[in-house]
Amino acid sequence: MALTPTLLLGGLERSLNALLARDPAAPARLERLAGQRLLVRLESPSLALALVYHAQGVDLMRQDDEPENAFDAVVELDPETLGELLGGASVERLMFQGRLAVRGHIPLLEATRDLLLDLDLDWEGELAHWLGDVPAHSLAEGIRSLGRWGLRTRQELCADVSEYVFEEARLLPGRHQFEGVRDHLTELEVATDRLEARLERLRRRLTTEGDGA
Amino acid sequence: MTPSDKRTTHFGYQEVPVDEKASRVADVFHSVAARYDVMNDLMSFGIHRVWKRLTIERAGVRPGHSVLDIAGGTGDLTLKFSRLVGPRGRVVLADINESMLRVGRDKLLDRGVGGNVEYVQANAETLPFPDNTFDCITIAFGLRNVTDKDAALRSMARVLKPGGRLLVLEFSKPDNALLSQAYDQYSFRLLPRMGELVAGDAESYRYLAESIRMHPDQETLKGMMEDAGLERVEYTNLTGGIVALHRGIKL
Repeated sequence: MALTPTLLLGGLERSLNALLARDPAAPARLERLAGQRLLVRLESPSLALALVYHAQGVDLMRQDDEPENAFDAVVELDPETLGELLGGASVERLMFQGRLAVRGHIPLLEATRDLLLDLDLDWEGELAHWLGDVPAHSLAEGIRSLGRWGLRTRQELCADVSEYVFEEARLLPGRHQFEGVRDHLTELEVATDRLEARLERLRRRLTTEGDGA
Repeated sequence: MTPSDKRTTHFGYQEVPVDEKASRVADVFHSVAARYDVMNDLMSFGIHRVWKRLTIERAGVRPGHSVLDIAGGTGDLTLKFSRLVGPRGRVVLADINESMLRVGRDKLLDRGVGGNVEYVQANAETLPFPDNTFDCITIAFGLRNVTDKDAALRSMARVLKPGGRLLVLEFSKPDNALLSQAYDQYSFRLLPRMGELVAGDAESYRYLAESIRMHPDQETLKGMMEDAGLERVEYTNLTGGIVALHRGIKL
């Protein structure tokens, strides 16, 4: 059905713009972005999505037959890379790894990510509107402390697991060890190459001397 | 009596003299203009927004383009086009009906749209623009109210720039017999009643249902667009063919 993606995109656009309208930092960012166009090509499912910024938000549109030069920046990525990008991985790292192809005005991609990920909604104010100031504040405090606890627990768990794996059980090499080994291997590779070249030179000399004699 | 007085055309299921159709259609829209948006939402269960969205996606409008929105009525398409073309572009909202144009202009001004939008009261058959003016022309739910559709399509092809696109969003023929039945029941029984309740005008909505039935089907309209000089004409059926989006390019 031709309409389903359009309908989904319409819904996404509406919710996104509603969220952006609640973010106090968004108007200034949108002001800077207004009029810029970003094309995101997803490999699988094959999808070309245009993000067109305007002062109140962003228009999302499917673009199948538009030339690339109509956009300020074009991004090509696969779903995995998209996940990492939204997870906060740096754009440069993904580009150097060759998993993200960006053409055109690269800062536009970073600005887009900042806009979408740094959404700082004043949801406490919105709650206060419905519940009153005091209940909203205590509810918000509760949620915040729960969030802090979750974050701390996750960091501690990560730290514990990595310490066990790298230091106690020694199941995996640590980053320093890994880099040390890699440097040694590179050195070895260079040395082998030199040796090979030297042998080759000797062999050549032997053949020319053999011919001469 | 001149020959043109004798010629008739259809107004819904009635035959009326050619000269009268425009004023009769105008009466219909004068009467519904104020509640046009509400009625559209009610009648199509809000799906008309998705149909229009798809039209905008297919239009491929870019910053700097000139867009003509014919029969733009209350400005749904113009609102989005004015953002897409940016300050360097321009959008012309044209409608033959003064009431609809006024409602559209007020709505757009209320939404903060200005600067790159112009309003023109014009007949689609004789568009008052020079040749090769627009990058994109849209006519959403307007073509079936035009008296001479071929002349209108020729006129649109004339003002379109080479490489420009014409998009026609219009009611069409459902491709499924069962859906067609349900749709007939809906549009001839429920629709005039809804029109009476909400807009206080059953006649106008009866005309709407009838005019949809008299409108050429997908293939016929495609042929008409090709005859008007457009190429690569293709159409997409939406919601089972109740509506079809035709697109042609002037080469």
